[in-house]
Amino acid sequence: MTRTISTEVLIIGSGAGGAVTAARLAEAGRSVIVAEEGPWYDPDAHQPSSLDEFTARYRHQGACAALGSPGIAFAEGRCVGGSTEINMGLYHRLPERFVDLWRTTYSIADFDVATLRHYADEVESVVKVSRLPGAVPASSAVLSRGADELGWRNVEFARVYSYDEGGHGTKQSMSRTMIPRAVAAGAVVQADCTVRSLTSSGRRVTGARATLRHPDGSTEPVAFRADDVFVCGGAIQSPALLQRSGFRHNIGAGLKFHPTVKVAARFDHPYDHEEVPVHRVTEFDPYLTIGGSASRRGHVALALVDSAPGDLDRLLEHWQNVVVYYAAIRSSGSGRVTALPGLRAPLVTYSLRDSDLSRLARGLVHLGEMLLAAGAKELFPSIAGGPIVRCRADLAQWWGALNRAQSNLMTVHLTSTIRMGDDSALTGADSFGRVWDSDNLFVNDASLLPDAPGVNPQAAVMTIAARNADAYLAR
Amino acid sequence: MLWLERRIVTALAGPDDQRTGGAITEFVDTSFAAMPQHLRLGVVGESLLLGAFVILRYAPKASDADIVAAMASWEHNPIGVIRQYARLLTSLVTFAQQELMPE
Repeated sequence: MTRTISTEVLIIGSGAGGAVTAARLAEAGRSVIVAEEGPWYDPDAHQPSSLDEFTARYRHQGACAALGSPGIAFAEGRCVGGSTEINMGLYHRLPERFVDLWRTTYSIADFDVATLRHYADEVESVVKVSRLPGAVPASSAVLSRGADELGWRNVEFARVYSYDEGGHGTKQSMSRTMIPRAVAAGAVVQADCTVRSLTSSGRRVTGARATLRHPDGSTEPVAFRADDVFVCGGAIQSPALLQRSGFRHNIGAGLKFHPTVKVAARFDHPYDHEEVPVHRVTEFDPYLTIGGSASRRGHVALALVDSAPGDLDRLLEHWQNVVVYYAAIRSSGSGRVTALPGLRAPLVTYSLRDSDLSRLARGLVHLGEMLLAAGAKELFPSIAGGPIVRCRADLAQWWGALNRAQSNLMTVHLTSTIRMGDDSALTGADSFGRVWDSDNLFVNDASLLPDAPGVNPQAAVMTIAARNADAYLAR
Repeated sequence: MLWLERRIVTALAGPDDQRTGGAITEFVDTSFAAMPQHLRLGVVGESLLLGAFVILRYAPKASDADIVAAMASWEHNPIGVIRQYARLLTSLVTFAQQELMPE
């Protein structure tokens, strides 16, 4: 017999959107259950970007891709705290230039700079947005040095980190901030709980069917009964769950992300690989951003293997001399998430436009210019058989080398599969995340963003989630 | 894991897989198991087709060098899904190899 669990509000997903929603609703006195598909780990249990972390906290162990020409690898978190547990913790408020554009294009009510600033201030008071207290990592200084040499704008970005007196930083992910607040206010977090579908009666969602995994490996079917349901599984899982539950109006189309190409830069001396670069080159903002990636030994090897497969062993003898950097673009292409009957994971496709490829090639060349200006000796692009660059004149080869057949692209910022706004012809949810065709089903995660903002969207997701949670409470 | 997948991991990892107690093979195996089913289905189909090719091409028995040569050629194959198959396996093995090997 299926156990039934009742609550006032069921929140599905515990990432940046779900955790903020849970904290605000629980602190307002609502009875809240958070159903999270992944496990609940000690945030210190795994080294960032390590194989252990991929195995434990990444959905599909990080092996997932949007199909298309080319296929584009992407990563999502799958644990309590969602992708905030696995990202680099870089924090960017939603660029103001998008606020007016999105409000007018999608008819989003009460969406203005002042309102979002108010909620961003509130969120930041919890997640401790700060800059490094001491000198930036040498791998980060490469970005500022190279950009300065070329006269390009660059900035050190803040992160959601808290620092002790010794300067040791602790990432303020959701499992350290919003989730504990929600729990302290009475919310129940049910980890290892996979929601299969939502249950409905007419225009009202009545709960969800789910499967609980117990520590001994056994599973148990459970039924949640809820007055209202928030779906906060991110831009891939949220539309898939809604589609499986019969909601299809503008659900799953319009996937946006930042296609990214990487370069492994070899220097003539070792770099500290413990810290990630915190600088970004913003000269080409918002259409093109240049920054630094995780550069553990495994990541360095992956970044080298495309263009130097035969020389990998020699290069890895001095892998500490190699740091991985990236160029990410705002794309004019888009994709789709489609739930497949009988299969748990949805089909994800993305159509990269020729203009995107041109922009990526431009980004790759600019990235190369910057790295050479900063003193890099050799540059290895993530292009199969891609030309290795040793001087500025070599960079011209990259324009033609970055093509659909040979480029190896990835992304992490997935958005826009259930856009918000009162123009129902363009959106899947109203201005505050209520799904069209339902009176009590809400989305409150990256799916709502009308477009990929050109920066890490965590701040925008948290800000909008706080705003929408307050709108829900005021109903 | 299917026969060709296991052979590719063995050939690419060389003695490192034994040194790590088979952890590289295990990582690739669990990665395949964790993959979205529709993607895994595509990989299985390719493993069967390419496995048949390897058996016929390198009869009576493909050596590690044969497998590595086949992978190198697939990485530049005009058919996209074959290139992606080679890249996927190379990436999984390379990442696990470098992360699991002692300094």
